[in-house]
Amino acid sequence: MDKLAKQLRDDAHRIKCSVSEELDDRIRASLEGVQPEAGQRLRRESRSSSFWWASSLTGVVAAIVAIAFINWQVPASGPDSTESNPQPLAIPTIQWHTETAVLTSPLEQEFEDLQADLKKAEEAVKQDIDRLF
Amino acid sequence: MSNEAALIEAARSGSAAAFTELVSAYREGLLRFLLTRSSNFADAEDALQDTLINAYRYLHSYDARWRFSTWLYRIAINNAARQKTVDTVELGDLSDDSDDPLRQCIAASERENLWLSARRSLTNEVYAAMWLRYVEDMSIKDISAVLEKSVSWTKVNLMRGRKTLDAEFNKVATDEKSKAYG
Repeated sequence: MDKLAKQLRDDAHRIKCSVSEELDDRIRASLEGVQPEAGQRLRRESRSSSFWWASSLTGVVAAIVAIAFINWQVPASGPDSTESNPQPLAIPTIQWHTETAVLTSPLEQEFEDLQADLKKAEEAVKQDIDRLF
Repeated sequence: MSNEAALIEAARSGSAAAFTELVSAYREGLLRFLLTRSSNFADAEDALQDTLINAYRYLHSYDARWRFSTWLYRIAINNAARQKTVDTVELGDLSDDSDDPLRQCIAASERENLWLSARRSLTNEVYAAMWLRYVEDMSIKDISAVLEKSVSWTKVNLMRGRKTLDAEFNKVATDEKSKAYG
């Protein structure tokens, strides 16, 4: 162990502190009033499974009642299919006349300009290097 | 199964006595560490109590691949940080020495305790990393887990912390020498 590490360890042990009896009692009392989460979770799980069954059963019963109610009501209030004879809707045809956009020429121009700029910059750098060395 | 593992199992099933026994070896070390991060002694005690209660409550989340102390320190650091946001006291702001719990607990000595210098010159995280390394003997991997930092961050900052404290340590040694020679 090097000098600094030893000094750090010694100095930490020079910090005198201990858990007082009062704090010890306080901690013990607090711990007595707390239940570890896992135990609580188990209880919650067992409760939730019975709730799951109850809610599933309620849902199935509600669904059966709803289906029975709808089936009972449909013949009475349903529209008479023989009376209405809807005409087929005329779908308008759209003429798609498009022209091919010429987009390449401005880009080509820009590319040429950039290349020219690059050449100029390259020459400037070459000149600077020649001047320095 | 080791004694610690058996105590953890018993505590998980709701034995507060087993948990008390389990943490008895760590309580003083934790309190000492929390003292260096709190604005007064009562806050450090409260932080210790919260740490132990949280540890007991969430013991199911402890992963046995890590050392138990690593997990406890992670909770302690979180509690201390939470307390700090409530109190809004920074370590370096403890200008009034009479209230400083760390100064109160340090035995009178001619030389300044290096942890006081550390608290003055290091950030909270680097200070914690140095403490865990040199007082708790934790590995770099454990320290990075406690501080939720990468291994490389931990290595770099331990090195920086060492460098800073080394300068302080050497300065004190030089001062003492020059005093001795008049």
